[in-house]
Amino acid sequence: MSTMQEPSPTQRSGMAAKAEKSSTEAPRPSRTLWGDAFKRLRRNKLAVAAIIWIVFVVIVALTADLWAQQLLGSPTSSDSTTLAQTSLLAPNAEHPFGTDALGRDILVRVIYGARVSLSVGIMATAISTVIGLILGALAGFYGGIWDTIIMRAADIFLAFPYVLFVVSMIAVIGRSLTNVFVAIGILGWPSIARVFRSAILTVKENDYVDAARAMGASDMRIIFRHIFPNSVASIVVYATMNIGGAILTESALSFLGMGVVPPTPSWGTMIQDGQAYLTTAPWMMIMPGLAILSTVLAFTLLGDGLRDALDVKMKDA
Amino acid sequence: MGKYILKRVLQFIPVFLGVTLILFALQNIVPGDPITLIGGDKALPPETELQLRIKYNLVKVDENGNAVLDANGDAVPTNTWERYIGYMGNLLKGDLGTSYQRKIPVTEIFAQKYPYTVKLALCAIVLEAIMGIGAGIISAVKRYSFWDTLVTLTTSVLVAVPAFWLGMILQLVFGVIFKVMPISGAGGASSQFQDWMHYILPAITLASVSTAYTARIMRSQLLDVMSQDYIRTAKAKGLSNRAIIWKHALKNALIPVVTYIGVDFGAMLSGAILTETVFNWPGVGYEIYRAISGRDWPIVMGGVTLVVLVVMVVNLLVDVSYGFLDPRIRFDRSSKSN
Repeated sequence: MSTMQEPSPTQRSGMAAKAEKSSTEAPRPSRTLWGDAFKRLRRNKLAVAAIIWIVFVVIVALTADLWAQQLLGSPTSSDSTTLAQTSLLAPNAEHPFGTDALGRDILVRVIYGARVSLSVGIMATAISTVIGLILGALAGFYGGIWDTIIMRAADIFLAFPYVLFVVSMIAVIGRSLTNVFVAIGILGWPSIARVFRSAILTVKENDYVDAARAMGASDMRIIFRHIFPNSVASIVVYATMNIGGAILTESALSFLGMGVVPPTPSWGTMIQDGQAYLTTAPWMMIMPGLAILSTVLAFTLLGDGLRDALDVKMKDA
Repeated sequence: MGKYILKRVLQFIPVFLGVTLILFALQNIVPGDPITLIGGDKALPPETELQLRIKYNLVKVDENGNAVLDANGDAVPTNTWERYIGYMGNLLKGDLGTSYQRKIPVTEIFAQKYPYTVKLALCAIVLEAIMGIGAGIISAVKRYSFWDTLVTLTTSVLVAVPAFWLGMILQLVFGVIFKVMPISGAGGASSQFQDWMHYILPAITLASVSTAYTARIMRSQLLDVMSQDYIRTAKAKGLSNRAIIWKHALKNALIPVVTYIGVDFGAMLSGAILTETVFNWPGVGYEIYRAISGRDWPIVMGGVTLVVLVVMVVNLLVDVSYGFLDPRIRFDRSSKSN
């Protein structure tokens, strides 16, 4: 059962690898969970394409300040004197994605919009994951009253119409980038908590947990050294897919006028801006939409690939 | 069975109280005095203001319905808790309060809006069931074929598409370029046929993501069932592939799919805020969204309360029907393991 090994301390997995080698006739070179998973992932063409696309988007978003504005102009400010000549231009050599109603280049706005989408995707997922892990651990490990309270709270969060919930929350705490990822992050914990809880319930039954406890390990030690490494695969898969979901939610929020405050470009806001020009300048909404679609799709495909590579069994949820 | 339903209904109560309490707390955190919102730009005369405060349960009242005054002669404001209890008391009487801005009862507003949301959800769910189940069956039966790949790729893309963007693309293609469908709104058209045309694009938009999920669940369930022993037995006794799938496999494979569709129907009844916004659809979701933007909290509270009730009732019906669809599920057992 190489997939059940703890990946973290190299020493221990090295010992395990030796033990495996001696017991099998033809040893394979790499026998850690992540080594194996990486090999399988490399064979999955869709997942590789997804990784390449994500890396590309991340690099473009991170380095945008170095080149994008020089090449394409400012993503936020516009020159009112030349507006008549520069606004609502169809895609051309100078402006590959066209320009919007204020004469701003759409490509540069899509590039800067990637910053908002990626940061919301990652930060919101990080918040959901941390809250989900803590609550999931409490519910799964201690059970009883903790389990009842936390899982009932998860029911409450899941019973709420999700977008309505996020929108109401933003209405209360106000519009800003931080508030967007806080709102999406806080509301996203129940699914991760459920995954981690069920993972704990499964792992908890193993003999090595009993053994650890018999040796006097504390609850914290058991959770972090024994249970967490064994459920980290499913958490990674879930978190990857969650990033795509958070990006979608952010775009929906921005579309409803509840996301980051203009003029900061966000893909959802750009689509909303384009709604009024649907008949005259459809590229205004098409381009940011394609950006959302490709990025979310990449995270979904990467999640699928990781799930297969790490051999994580997931419920249809 | 009766016991199971009762248990489920009892489980709803804490969830329902929790959801409404969270929302109620949220709206009380929002800065701004509701009475100022009602008055708009002009300042209200003090008596009117006091009457409104009594009406919206913002100040304490005595048995005669007069405001309780403190030592300085000012009305004593109620706290969040008292307001919440007052709200729930009115809810039991079927009163969801009055809109701040439109000054009409919230129940009246949603009585107008709900039919549009229900009709749209029905159209979408029919589409979802036909397309999703059909695509799922094809891709499972012809596994690894061109069609299977097509379905798998299409569902992956559909799940990643922002639904509101898909709606706009449909508007662009069918409304602007080919001019065969109305772009937005509902009703008010010259003929019944024209009226129904308004449903097509929003219904496709609303159904898109869930159709993809339906197809995926259908595919994996059918493949799962097809690998079971009783299907092998059916094959061994010489039944045709068609008979095996239609008579034996599908019945069992459909159960989780039907459950998913049922739950999804409940979610659609909660008002598709994005789809309704894109298409200017006069439904529940759009109404709640406008109320949030306009800080018209009674509509938000009332709308979400209604929506949560509807979702819970639909989910309960789905759960109960699960028992009829699948006799293997025993309610007494499931309630014990729960």
